[in-house]
Amino acid sequence: MSEASAHALEHHEPLTSTGIHNKKVLMWAFLGSDCMFFGTLISTHLIYRKISATVGGNFLDIRDIFDIELTSFSTFILLASSLFMALAVSAIHKGNLNSTRWMLFGTIIFGAIFLACQVYEFTHFVHAPGNELTLSSYRGEPHVFGSTFYVLTGTHGTHVAIGVFWLIGWFVYSFTGKMSTADAMDIECCGLYWHFVDIVWILIFPVVYLMEYAF
Amino acid sequence: MSGHSDDPVAEESNRFFTFFNLSMLLVAITGVEIVIIYVRAFEGSIIMGVLCVCSVIKFIGVMTWFMHLRWDKILNTILFLMGLVIAAFTFFAVIYMADDPPVVEKFAISPIEEGWKADYDYTKGDFIKEKDSFYVANITHKSSQVFDSNTTKGDEKLSNWKLVQGIPHQFSWKVSTGDLIEISSLKPENPFFHQYHPTDTDNIEGSKISLLTQNASSEGFRIKVRSDAFWVDGLNQ
Repeated sequence: MSEASAHALEHHEPLTSTGIHNKKVLMWAFLGSDCMFFGTLISTHLIYRKISATVGGNFLDIRDIFDIELTSFSTFILLASSLFMALAVSAIHKGNLNSTRWMLFGTIIFGAIFLACQVYEFTHFVHAPGNELTLSSYRGEPHVFGSTFYVLTGTHGTHVAIGVFWLIGWFVYSFTGKMSTADAMDIECCGLYWHFVDIVWILIFPVVYLMEYAF
Repeated sequence: MSGHSDDPVAEESNRFFTFFNLSMLLVAITGVEIVIIYVRAFEGSIIMGVLCVCSVIKFIGVMTWFMHLRWDKILNTILFLMGLVIAAFTFFAVIYMADDPPVVEKFAISPIEEGWKADYDYTKGDFIKEKDSFYVANITHKSSQVFDSNTTKGDEKLSNWKLVQGIPHQFSWKVSTGDLIEISSLKPENPFFHQYHPTDTDNIEGSKISLLTQNASSEGFRIKVRSDAFWVDGLNQ
């Protein structure tokens, strides 16, 4: 298989003026622009966290509702999903379709667990007795923390959800018998997107959650 | 970590161990982040430093190996870093600009001109003007019908007022926010300098009386208010 696979590895990368597949260049350009998008959201959250540090005359201690154990668990889950995704890309490059399928499945499951944790967390925050965190208030007092928090983590969650649906598409496609090493570049682009979602969470987790416990 | 090889399939197989090792490293670093929060044995600045370093290591690890930048052409790295650098500059610029500069709403200096009043409750330290002279209350007392009467405590007679040299001036201010307020003289003949570290940093109103050995010019002073990185000057209004 090695000669055929090696050939396969090469043949799906058409020659371009840059020497890189156009889809891959496009994906990297998109991820670069998405960096600016998340950079703005993270900046906004930090700014409002700083200048709106009180609620109802008291210091805003958001640790009262944060469940750091749950968030840590979902962080590990997302990291594990990245390993599955990397292995899925590696498997399709090797022409191992069965392994690709199950690695994609693992990524989907872990991505879905992450989303479930986020849905549970949001629900818990909105309905926490006495500590309700809504888009416009905290403990019934008007406050901007909910807005910046939900928009930032919700936008990330939306990215994860899009990634999960994209992966489900590839997983279903793998059963049609049409998947081949010619699809390696498309799955690699999907992988780049998934890893990007992972590195964004690598920043959000300490900035939004852990820093609350630093002082 | 694996590099380029003549056999691309073997190279991909080698990457399995690279990915697995990296994944374990990421889990370990995340563990460190969480543990340092739980331990609560470090200063906030140390925790912040550790969190930043851990995040950067994880970020670079995923970007370099999981996202294949180590093995890809440099153009991909440049494309991504362009967005990343612009995002970083945006981040720091917005953080810097968003720092709330204080606003000096009021800063006034005025000589004490309140005259002495009969049957009035004076607190120790109050200033009054009486016949072109200035006095400071020696003790807390209720004034009688005659200025400069004494108060008797037991066998001891205490003077209610003490003559002060020079002209006492009232400094009063209102600022929107600040963590340090500094009042100083612009002219050498008005020696006055004082710093305040207000505990409540929102809408600070305050006043202070200074004893001056010479006549003070009301234009000869300024107030400086600091809020984080910002200093704002305000002259007498």
